[in-house]
Amino acid sequence: MNYTDVFGEPTRGKYVIAGINVGMILRKDWTTHQQARDYLCDFDGEPQIVEGIDDEFIREKHKEYPHLSLADCEYMWTGAHFCEELLKFDGFMLHASAVVYKERAYLFSAPSGTGKSTHTKQWLDAFGEDAYILNDDKPVIRLLNGKAVVFGTPWSGKTDQNRNAGVLLGGICFLERADENWIKPVGAKDAAFGILNQTIRPGDKKRLVKLLELLDNVIKTTGVFRMGCTISTDAAIMSYDAMKGETRA
Amino acid sequence: MKVKSDFVLKEVAGQWIVAPSGDASISFNAMITLNDSGAFLWKTLEGGASEEELVSALLGEYEVSEETARAGVRNFVEKIREANLLDD
Repeated sequence: MNYTDVFGEPTRGKYVIAGINVGMILRKDWTTHQQARDYLCDFDGEPQIVEGIDDEFIREKHKEYPHLSLADCEYMWTGAHFCEELLKFDGFMLHASAVVYKERAYLFSAPSGTGKSTHTKQWLDAFGEDAYILNDDKPVIRLLNGKAVVFGTPWSGKTDQNRNAGVLLGGICFLERADENWIKPVGAKDAAFGILNQTIRPGDKKRLVKLLELLDNVIKTTGVFRMGCTISTDAAIMSYDAMKGETRA
Repeated sequence: MKVKSDFVLKEVAGQWIVAPSGDASISFNAMITLNDSGAFLWKTLEGGASEEELVSALLGEYEVSEETARAGVRNFVEKIREANLLDD
């Protein structure tokens, strides 16, 4: 790996992310380094995942995607690599805003710009200090002892809303904007396609099979919904009421 | 006939789904669901088979008339050809 001080000082750190020991070489005070601060943890032994991107790769990506800053490039491609590695640890990332209430994490997933974060903000308004955002853009779901657990990670998108915690999955909901609030459970097909559409699909068959095995377990034990919602606390109360107690544990 | 090699057939929560890996994953439309006999035909096609061979495979596995099997195979082939999953 080639690091120079052209891009700022590389710093080595030990982190525990989603319960996995991660060694990262990050450029000091860049986005990734700042967002990962809460995950610093001095574990013993070798890291299970190693993250670090050399200068040349960052330069290439920046050339390819000029609207991204160099720091963005480091942030995005360390995040993408982490997601790939996650499969080895029975985990995957879902493009969603994750809100926690009464010790369960509820995930709202949709394409960018639909209003995921807008909806979970309504939960904070409706349920006050008892609710918090676990990760506003890319929470990780891991299957641990047969139970789906949602984790915050440093890769939380444009906002830095994430918390270093693991919370049992309460439900998954695909949302769209609507003039009236409605919510309904979806079948296995819509649940699987919905999730596959909002995660990074592996490039090789072996890992795709592994992801589908994980989805099989998650969908069998979790309520999955589709919802149309207005921007209102009413919508938050509706989605909570429909999703609570739906965990088929 | 053969199905494209970068697709995976897997049962997810009681539903057979075919999902693409690699570059094929660009297109969401390339994901389809299959019923049990469709999944059986898909597995047969992974190794390559003609329409006739599919019909006799189906007749060996299910207790159906040749007519039904033939119609089933025709529907199946049409469905996966439309989804652009055939490598022929």
